[in-house]
Amino acid sequence: MPFLIEHITEVVFSILVLLILANGALIALAIARRQRRERFFVRIDELRRQYNPVVSGLLTGRLDYAQGLAALRGISGRDREYIWEQLCLATTPAPAQVPNLRRLCEDLGLVKVWQRQVSGQFDVATLRDAMVRPEGVFQLLARLRFILRAKSADNLGIIRHQRSWPLLLKALNDQHVDVQNASLRSLAAIGDPESFLGLVQRLHDVVLKPGTRLSLRAVKTVLVSFPLAQAPDLIPSLKHANRRIRFFATDVIREMSDRQAALDEDFALDFKVFPEDLRELFLSQLGFDENPDVRARAAPVIARIPDPRSAPLLLTLLGDPEWFVRLHVVRTLAQPKFQPQVAEIARRLTDANWMVREAAAQTLLTFGQMGVNQLFQDFLSSPDRYSREQIADTMQRRGLVPNLIGQYLESHDGREKQVIAQLAQMGKTSYLLALLASTPEKEVRRRFLVDFGHYPDANIQKWVRIVATRESDEELRALARAALQRAQV
Amino acid sequence: MEVWRQTFYHTMNMFNVLIVLYFFIGNGMYTVLMISSLISVWLHNRRLVYQGLSELRDSVVTPPVTIIMPAWNEQSIVVKSVRSVLKTDYPNLEVIVVDDGSSDDTLQRLIEGFGLVKMDLIYRPRISTRPIRGFYLNPDLPNLLVVSKENGGKPDALNVGINVSRTPYFCTLDSDCLLERDALLRLMNPIVKSPVNTVVSGGIVRILNGCEEKDAQVVRVRLPEGRLERFQVVEYLRSFLFGRAGWDLLGGTLIVSGAFAVFHRESVIESGAFGRDTVTEDMDLIVQLHRWAMHHGRKIRTSFTSDPVCWTECPKEFGMLQRQRRRWQMGLFQTLWKHSEMLFNRKYGVLGLLSFPFQVYIEGVGAAVEFIGYFMVPIAIMFGMVPPTLYVLFVIVGLMYGGFLSVGAVLLEELTYRRYPGFRDLMTLLLYAFLENVGYRQMVLYYRFQGVVQFVRGYRQWEKVVHVGG
Repeated sequence: MPFLIEHITEVVFSILVLLILANGALIALAIARRQRRERFFVRIDELRRQYNPVVSGLLTGRLDYAQGLAALRGISGRDREYIWEQLCLATTPAPAQVPNLRRLCEDLGLVKVWQRQVSGQFDVATLRDAMVRPEGVFQLLARLRFILRAKSADNLGIIRHQRSWPLLLKALNDQHVDVQNASLRSLAAIGDPESFLGLVQRLHDVVLKPGTRLSLRAVKTVLVSFPLAQAPDLIPSLKHANRRIRFFATDVIREMSDRQAALDEDFALDFKVFPEDLRELFLSQLGFDENPDVRARAAPVIARIPDPRSAPLLLTLLGDPEWFVRLHVVRTLAQPKFQPQVAEIARRLTDANWMVREAAAQTLLTFGQMGVNQLFQDFLSSPDRYSREQIADTMQRRGLVPNLIGQYLESHDGREKQVIAQLAQMGKTSYLLALLASTPEKEVRRRFLVDFGHYPDANIQKWVRIVATRESDEELRALARAALQRAQV
Repeated sequence: MEVWRQTFYHTMNMFNVLIVLYFFIGNGMYTVLMISSLISVWLHNRRLVYQGLSELRDSVVTPPVTIIMPAWNEQSIVVKSVRSVLKTDYPNLEVIVVDDGSSDDTLQRLIEGFGLVKMDLIYRPRISTRPIRGFYLNPDLPNLLVVSKENGGKPDALNVGINVSRTPYFCTLDSDCLLERDALLRLMNPIVKSPVNTVVSGGIVRILNGCEEKDAQVVRVRLPEGRLERFQVVEYLRSFLFGRAGWDLLGGTLIVSGAFAVFHRESVIESGAFGRDTVTEDMDLIVQLHRWAMHHGRKIRTSFTSDPVCWTECPKEFGMLQRQRRRWQMGLFQTLWKHSEMLFNRKYGVLGLLSFPFQVYIEGVGAAVEFIGYFMVPIAIMFGMVPPTLYVLFVIVGLMYGGFLSVGAVLLEELTYRRYPGFRDLMTLLLYAFLENVGYRQMVLYYRFQGVVQFVRGYRQWEKVVHVGG
């Protein structure tokens, strides 16, 4: 016998029986689950059909509150709290509806349930209920699970339940990171000023205590969602001995002020929104911080402080030894009020780092024609090949070439001709030629053939050959042929 | 003569023992994976209700991402795929399509489809690649860039995309895929929430065949009509829902489909980027990242999430399926061979002690053992070494076990996402979960065996799977 066949036969047969049973069980489970879910959805759909108009009427204020509340309280069944939750929170409420939704959830008793669940508690009735029914024990266990705690924390944020912020702040110490994350988001949604300090403390914990399970991004997301009025609470963090804490605090203030500036073009960090001590901190300390990340993030804030020291400090930072500080400063200067600094910015077109060169070119373009003029001037006069390459790149990406061709047509011997000549000499002609090939304007092609048709650039020569052979216009064909002859000479 | 007979008998016996061992160890591992994935996917599904996607979308802190789509001879589907990608719901997104020297009209269709113009832009490679032919942009669509390059294979095209991208994360996406609108947000969610550098985040790939599309989005999920495609639906469910989710829970993710995955750009560049010496560059990169992190003392994390969905067309013809599976198996062997230092290396923890050996012995060698077993065992019966009843029983057990795993995958889908809405769909999936084991499984096994042979013979070519797209 090769091996114990008698035993292996029995073993294999037993496994086969087990497998048949297991397969049957899985199939039965799948079918039962599908049927149960279908029944569940039929019920939910029916309830939604019946009560969604009530909820929507309550949220918009069109329906009498007491009458609507009574209708919702009329829903029976052991899962009515779940059904209420489904009805009330099925869609994200409009900001104007949140107060009504909050009141509704409070009156239905949902807020108390969520608060209990966030704190990991359950009431006596639930416990008694759990003990008398077999499936109740599982439900009780389910109640203790993190999913329920996290969902409840999330719900309190959806309805922006102001009074729950201390509870949510406490939930940041929950054992499960999901509950911590949901609580963080809810604290951001509620935005209670008193919770801010607690969140700043959490930022310190995440930076200083290794093994913290919350991510820095998650904490930072919450902090930047608060208004700029909270910035003074970050002063101790801005002065903190730990360079990373100083960096994150500076970055939070930068994000806060950026958000404000996005809403108001003329926004400035004046005394009304930015107290004296913060202003001094940025202008006399953070702009000179030993941590380059802090200097980089401080620059956009400094740029918005209306103080005579701001512009000189930014110009100093423009020459910072760290390339990413220069990069942030160049990007920061893309504001109309810094137009007088155009020459300083243009100097960065020859920066050793390509990202700074690119940012400088893009910043110049935000100044309109003045910036374009500066860019062209540098393109024509700069001895730095990398700078010229960068300008050519930006001109193409930002769609300046069509305008360039238009202006070239208007002013034949102007600077535009020189810019095109420079592009042709650098071999950056693909975009130009694509435009020429598609333009119906004969004059521009005629001029181009006369001025540049003889250039040795391979793309130009290819285009000229096409014109010489396939162009329907006799004059253009003749010019193209002449250009080809000149090119050969 | 007697010596030869004895040798033959001993060899056959050893092989029989090997098959039995393979059967029990392999299926035991699959069962563990199935249980762990049941927990993992079910929990994840429950957690979706509070994951805060809208906050992630609105946050200024959400990191920008570049989607890199390598395309080679994808003229039939590339424009539709790019349109689908441009509709992605993500706050700060760039899309780079890399045309890998297509010999068809891929580039032309992109130019016409998006009004692109050739531009002479600066190329600053940090990873060496085949030369660039040109950059194509539409200034009115600043977040789309098409790069045309000389043919160098998918890894080379991806490396070009990495060179051109500027964002801290990039997402690789096959150019024949349709992305669900919030898929990228869902894929980035574990990255944003993780306190550890998550270098890879993978999502699930589902089969597009049979589904209804509108505006480059899947609007109605349906099972395909073809049998071959239906078998692949079950196979994909098994592979993604319980294979990868299971390993993710155990902390042993070695495979994330490069068809749709997010990577941390700097980590990828530092680790050496996509290698050109294997045909499964996605798996190769993930293993390489783990080795790089180990050698440089970096703490990294890989993540697999089962809710971000990317839809792809699966092969409708046997020939294309054969190419695909042959390539996957050959690539698996190439990658495992290349990184063999990880095998049973306890420095790599679960990866070295469990995941890597599983890939080597169960997924890799196992295919060859099972395939040869189909021939060796009947020979053993002919020589009276194994009773026919045992063989028959064993075959039935094997088929039933295969069915058990596939039914488990269908159940998992039913317990969580229920993408196939009709009751009829469920019954069809359950039926195909069983039918898959009779004929289809053996056929795929044959293709995989061919992949093993190709690896042994040193074959390296990337075999293109052509889709019959519209």
